[in-house]
Amino acid sequence: MAMNPEHDAPAGHDEARRTFLKQSSLLTALAFVPAPVVDAAAANLDEKVAGAIEKVPLKLEVNGKKYKLAVEPRTTLLDLLREELNLTGTKKGCDYGQCGACTVHVDGQRVNSCLSFAVMHDGRKVTTIEGLADGDKLHPMQEAFVKHDGFQCGYCTPGQIMSAVACVREGHAGSDAEIREYMSGNICRCGAYSNIVAAIQEVKNGGQKV
Amino acid sequence: MKAQDKQIGAPMNRVDGHLKVTGAAKYSAEYELPNIAYAVLVGSTIARGRITSIDAKAAEKAPGVLAVISHFNSPKVPGFDTAGKDPSQPATAGGPIKIFKDDKIRFNDQPIAVVVADSWERARFAARLVKAQYAPEKHKTNLEASASEAFLPTAAKKNPKHPMNDYQRGQADAYKTGAIKLESEYVIPTEVHHPMELQAITAHWEAPDRLTIYDKTQGTMATRRDFAREWNLPEENVKVIATFVGGAFGNALHSWPHESAAIIAAKVVNRPVKLMLTREQMFTMVGYRPYTWQKLGMSATPDGKITAITHESIGQTSTYEEFTESTLAQTRMMYQSPNVTTRYRLAALDIGSPIWMRGPGEATGAFALESAMDEMAFMLNLDPLEFRLRNYTDKDPENGKPWSTKFLKECYQLGAERVGWNKRQLKPGSLRDGEWLIGYGMGVGTFGAHRGAATVGAQLLPDGTVLLQCATTDIGPGTGTAMTQIAADALGIDPKRIRFELGNSSFPKAGTQGGSSTVNSVGPATQEACLALKDKLRTLAGAGNAAFASAKKEDVTLADGYLTLSSNAAAKVSYADLIKQGGDKAVTVEAKPGGEGQKYSMYSFSVHFAEVRVHELTGEVRVSKLVSCADAGTIINEKTAGNQMKGGAVGGIGMALMEAAHIDDRFGRYVTKDFADYHVPVHADSPDVQVAFVNQPDPHVNALGTKGIGEIATIGVAPAIANAVFNATGKRVRELPITPDKLI
Amino acid sequence: MNQFQYVRPSKAQAAIEAVAKDANATFIAGGTNLVDLMKRGIATPQKLVDINRLPLTKIERENNGLRIGALALNSAVADDKQVREKQPLLALALNAGASAQLRNMATVGGNMLQRTRCAYFYDLTMPCNKREPGTGCGALEGINRMHAIFGFSDKCIAVHPSDMSVALVALDATVLVTGPKGERRIPFADFHRLPGDTPEKDTNLERGELITAVDVPDGPFTKHVHYQKVRERASYAFALLSVAAALDIENNTIKAARLAMGGVAHKPWRLTAAEQSLVGKPATEETFRQAAAVAMQGAKAFKHNAYKLKLAPNTIIQALKTAAAA
Repeated sequence: MAMNPEHDAPAGHDEARRTFLKQSSLLTALAFVPAPVVDAAAANLDEKVAGAIEKVPLKLEVNGKKYKLAVEPRTTLLDLLREELNLTGTKKGCDYGQCGACTVHVDGQRVNSCLSFAVMHDGRKVTTIEGLADGDKLHPMQEAFVKHDGFQCGYCTPGQIMSAVACVREGHAGSDAEIREYMSGNICRCGAYSNIVAAIQEVKNGGQKV
Repeated sequence: MKAQDKQIGAPMNRVDGHLKVTGAAKYSAEYELPNIAYAVLVGSTIARGRITSIDAKAAEKAPGVLAVISHFNSPKVPGFDTAGKDPSQPATAGGPIKIFKDDKIRFNDQPIAVVVADSWERARFAARLVKAQYAPEKHKTNLEASASEAFLPTAAKKNPKHPMNDYQRGQADAYKTGAIKLESEYVIPTEVHHPMELQAITAHWEAPDRLTIYDKTQGTMATRRDFAREWNLPEENVKVIATFVGGAFGNALHSWPHESAAIIAAKVVNRPVKLMLTREQMFTMVGYRPYTWQKLGMSATPDGKITAITHESIGQTSTYEEFTESTLAQTRMMYQSPNVTTRYRLAALDIGSPIWMRGPGEATGAFALESAMDEMAFMLNLDPLEFRLRNYTDKDPENGKPWSTKFLKECYQLGAERVGWNKRQLKPGSLRDGEWLIGYGMGVGTFGAHRGAATVGAQLLPDGTVLLQCATTDIGPGTGTAMTQIAADALGIDPKRIRFELGNSSFPKAGTQGGSSTVNSVGPATQEACLALKDKLRTLAGAGNAAFASAKKEDVTLADGYLTLSSNAAAKVSYADLIKQGGDKAVTVEAKPGGEGQKYSMYSFSVHFAEVRVHELTGEVRVSKLVSCADAGTIINEKTAGNQMKGGAVGGIGMALMEAAHIDDRFGRYVTKDFADYHVPVHADSPDVQVAFVNQPDPHVNALGTKGIGEIATIGVAPAIANAVFNATGKRVRELPITPDKLI
Repeated sequence: MNQFQYVRPSKAQAAIEAVAKDANATFIAGGTNLVDLMKRGIATPQKLVDINRLPLTKIERENNGLRIGALALNSAVADDKQVREKQPLLALALNAGASAQLRNMATVGGNMLQRTRCAYFYDLTMPCNKREPGTGCGALEGINRMHAIFGFSDKCIAVHPSDMSVALVALDATVLVTGPKGERRIPFADFHRLPGDTPEKDTNLERGELITAVDVPDGPFTKHVHYQKVRERASYAFALLSVAAALDIENNTIKAARLAMGGVAHKPWRLTAAEQSLVGKPATEETFRQAAAVAMQGAKAFKHNAYKLKLAPNTIIQALKTAAAA
């Protein structure tokens, strides 16, 4: 899958497609086919052809950085982040929207990145755990998780933190009970729930901008 | 923090906290390697039988596919043929599945092929195109139906001294003739560890005879040994990296078929291969807490003295490995009873092998024992806490040895106060808040204070910081943090100047992180390595400085920039000078347990008190208070240890109220496949768990005084909740989990 | 997952045409169920028509009621001021479903179109008439503790998993759809189907028909409402069963009542007879008990779900009690 930050290099989808145009003799036949209408597997296509026709262009802003990508429509936002953009802070815990480890913000709203295709987010802004801190300065929620030991193994932690930030922003952190209900989409198998609630309470009551 | 402040006991923040909250911590599927390929397993769709054919043509032709490997075309794994060298850790008989070696199916979803492609999407798609034909055989997946075939574990048959043998003190089954007696059967269903990180491995053959794997494992050394054996390689040619492990709870104590599959795949495609299980696959091929049937008989005198206990259990295992666990251990040593009989049996089913799950067998056994204690207390019209006190043991009744330390009474007191035990009524159903019935219950847990050998390397770096290394892992308890604190005290320096590296089989060796033994084992090694380093530096400094030459190692202080003596502040040697002087500034020290275990019975203890609310119409149970008190010896870090206790308590809530993996026996296949079917506790299920430690050092386990926390955090929680449900409703649920259908 | 073509028309008509003319095409909105089904190979569309950016997200006053756009997010509806004022039962039901994240993705139309969570439907190797007509019903003689007690057939005993739909059927909502043949309005109670001989069809939507909005008429149910959901953990779980209850009470006499259950049938299960039994009676536990008995007429259980025969009336009573006290 081709991937380049827009300001780095020009080899996004269009570029990849041009390269492929030059190379492939099969192209004439396929040029009129809107990508990716052909099932490359079924059509027995050669690898380069298959690769090119299976992808569609996608523009995404992730953690303030603009990307121009070519992706298969079946690539989820989660797999795109982890495998193509190497933003592995966003975790895969179930892949079915049943654990919350993959929680990111899309246009400011918390969502399960495993349950949507990346192409559906064309033109949108995504924030992952890697984009939460202000440079070296941790986000208050990150600080609070460290202070209250709101994790053990750390695997659900990015999702918990992204969800916790949203929980406070949404105004759903009014009481311990409300926090627990609105954080229930994030499973922590280590069971650090009490400490996570304490961390969220501290941030909420601390009055810092989240 | 001042250097002289004692770090042991301080609630220090985790040393890896920053990495975990920023997403920078790398787990085993997150390493960037050049030209990486992706592997997806294809599972069998029958529970028992043979594969007659595999049609991989469509998959092989699919875009991006690099290989489809099955027993028809897998390269030979040399270790699979070496007799008696099976990489079997828990097995006392048989051995693990040798993947892609033959056509035999031993459980449903057993991996029959692996598809390797250049992206997840392509590998997953192609995996669906692989079609297999089978010659199925009749399978067995129901424990109760196989109970009549249950057998004594082979290891016990072979060795009369094996702890899985039948146990008897006093008269056998004496409870049957007791004046006041009970006999109850208990069932715990199959429970699955389900760490949040899906089991994953990245396998990289760096050379034809050199393998590096980034793996989810609780023991880098054990994993290295297993795969070195599989490939007939010297152990030093295999490197296992597990810097961060996204939870495990026991399911990474064994090497599993998917790991072998990834290594084979990497060999075939000659590229690094990443393999991550799906959540469905986490049910079928990486272990579980086995379905267990138990029967407990107990008799007591009217004044509340237990006269006899008989505890029998049948646990599930696979057809190819005999998995055993200490389900009956607590019954033999917890209460004063002149007559105790235990009988442990296994039933072999066509399901993948179980593996120890947090608290393991002891948590299963404690559900029966601690429920029965509550039942007997009720029969005797006694407060269950009082009943336990009347049967308290001041020495180990199983072997007559003194306890190394036992502060369980102190735990009882702490917990009873905090939960408000005095509100508890003897008569069930006495307390309510609207439609919610309120009840209180308690459950006791214990687990051996195990310690093994461990080695830690320590070295002074030119910048005056100290680097410590050990092959141990940290699956979540905060091992690196605790070791940093221990080292800080031993070295007398600020913990910020210490780096403890772990999770790498190339580091000095340590056992697996399991059985609550890590701090007990690695802690003393860390302490001793630091003291040895100080002595080594003193000796080096002594070459040019008489004060150091004659000083004791305890006297040496590693100040900021120089070495000094606490007895003689004028004595100074700068690190720069030490470095200039040359010579090795590193030590590697092994610490081993002595003969303490011969003299003492060494256990951690816990008690859990639960307040529950049960809705009288809907049967829903909410744990409104949970207080866990532990006698776990010295607490190295109250913050992380407290967190571990809370986590164990939450695990106990899951065990008590919701966790159960169900198999449709007609197909021999799980119908619970994900977190929508298999419920684990969410935020809303957890009260603000309260934790109290006695925090008294045990002088016999090790010099630090630790005894271990991980297991006792869970053992006894489920019966505490079940007992509280009885106190609230008068309904005794003996088959977990306590779901609403059982209470209405 | 199979490959598919992805299109994102900017006009509803284009989206409708794209699906209408292609038997292998389907709409995708929030994706919270469809993506899951595609990952497991249960849904294998060849073309996805992304409707997320169609202008169907508004919640507005219309004909003495609320018109809720089909693409309004579950979280947006639950938090909407008008919804909370006029139809608090709907907000309660929405917030009882899924998680905060999923409610930020799931749409009103998509929520209605959720497919069953029956384990046999979800496993390609097991029999399921809904997934693969003619293969049999795995749950009938299998593990059926989550399954239906009303309206099932020997072909299928699955239940519909939506919470929102339970409230909407109770509130007499109407589904607005636009299709190749134009627009039509489907009463909510007729939107979902019973399994009968065609369990593969969950709803009465025809190919290419796009849900554009749901109309919820104003009613007196602004105060005495409750959504009681019983599940195996405190949150983020599908219902064992659920009850939507709405009462209009004056001087402790019930003037009007609405009652529906979830988790008991292949569709959200409106309890009209029980509603009628409530009207004119005092809002007492005895009245609620009688209504629960009426509601349970015709219920039948299977091997593992007999508990629902008791849990259902109990939950109805609890829901009515809580609604009355609200």
